[in-house]
Amino acid sequence: MNITAATTDDGPLAFVLSGRFDAHEADGFRAAIDPALGATEPHIDIDLSDVEFIDSTALAELVRAMKRCRERSGDLRLLTPSNPVRVILELTRLDAAFTIV
Amino acid sequence: MTGSGLDAYRTWSTTALTESPKYSVVIPAYNEEWRIVPTIGAIATQMCTLGEPWEMIIADDGSTDTTVELVQELELANLQLLVAEKNGGKGSAVRRGMLRARGDVVLFADADQSTPIEQFRDLEEQIDAGFDVVVGSRAADGAEVESKSFMRKVFSTGLSFIVRNIFRIPVSDTQCGFKMFTADAADRLFRRQLIDEFSFDLEILYLAQKFDMKTAEVPVRWIDAPGSKVEAGKVALEFLRDLAIIRWNDVRGRYKADNHERPGPDAHNPDRPMAV
Repeated sequence: MNITAATTDDGPLAFVLSGRFDAHEADGFRAAIDPALGATEPHIDIDLSDVEFIDSTALAELVRAMKRCRERSGDLRLLTPSNPVRVILELTRLDAAFTIV
Repeated sequence: MTGSGLDAYRTWSTTALTESPKYSVVIPAYNEEWRIVPTIGAIATQMCTLGEPWEMIIADDGSTDTTVELVQELELANLQLLVAEKNGGKGSAVRRGMLRARGDVVLFADADQSTPIEQFRDLEEQIDAGFDVVVGSRAADGAEVESKSFMRKVFSTGLSFIVRNIFRIPVSDTQCGFKMFTADAADRLFRRQLIDEFSFDLEILYLAQKFDMKTAEVPVRWIDAPGSKVEAGKVALEFLRDLAIIRWNDVRGRYKADNHERPGPDAHNPDRPMAV
């Protein structure tokens, strides 16, 4: 999986993921995103439009990051998840837990 | 997949087929509570892009975790769940699923999505070309293998040599959990299958060769999924033992007649545990 980060002056920090997001990628994801979770009111977007598959470990990573953001009065949004990812979020009922844009 | 593809998934997930499926996808599952739901989601969305009627069969293998409950709770209209009362081995789960399948083309795929379902069409092209059995292969030219452990590579290479040179099975990777069959081939092969454990694939390919079925190998992209239940050393020893068993079964004529019957229509009730 590839992870690229983009910052804007006034918008949230965005991470664009592509490929297969599974347990093999969990450490890399943490390394990329964890520095941003310590900010005051962290607002983070995760672009999932090019993610072809996401497994349970990866879902847990997203939930962990989302909870960390909300604990600090921020949020983590999922941007345009691919159809497989959208369906997986629905089947696991995590679509109700996340802000999906 | 486009929005219309997502619409096709919505229809598939809520409306039972009124026609025979063209495709069946069989997924054996033993204690897969951590993996089964994402796998179902990925396979369902991809298969719904093909524009053909299809069914999914989850063949539980006596799971002791919440696999069965998780699948039941999804309430997907075209998913059959076959519940086993006890653990009988992967081969027994696949056999039950394959003999229940109604599709013209039947794929069995491992529950860990180690071979991504996007490669379905690659195998189907060989069915269309006249092959009876199409094997997803991690050893064929063009295959992409990620994260495979060193020990698994060693054992795979050794076992492949034995299979090809001693047993004359013209397949370089007998064990990849991504194999496609015509309905007739699946019926004939899985009715005769006797091995319930890991080496059932080998037996199926042995029988395909014995019955002069046309078998093709297709290189696949394969990712060694985290949490794999394959213990390379133990499996290699069982594999060698089962090679001998298969030959002995053949010598004794145990493959001449069916060893299993297709289940009756009342067994379609997903809430009723199946005998194994």
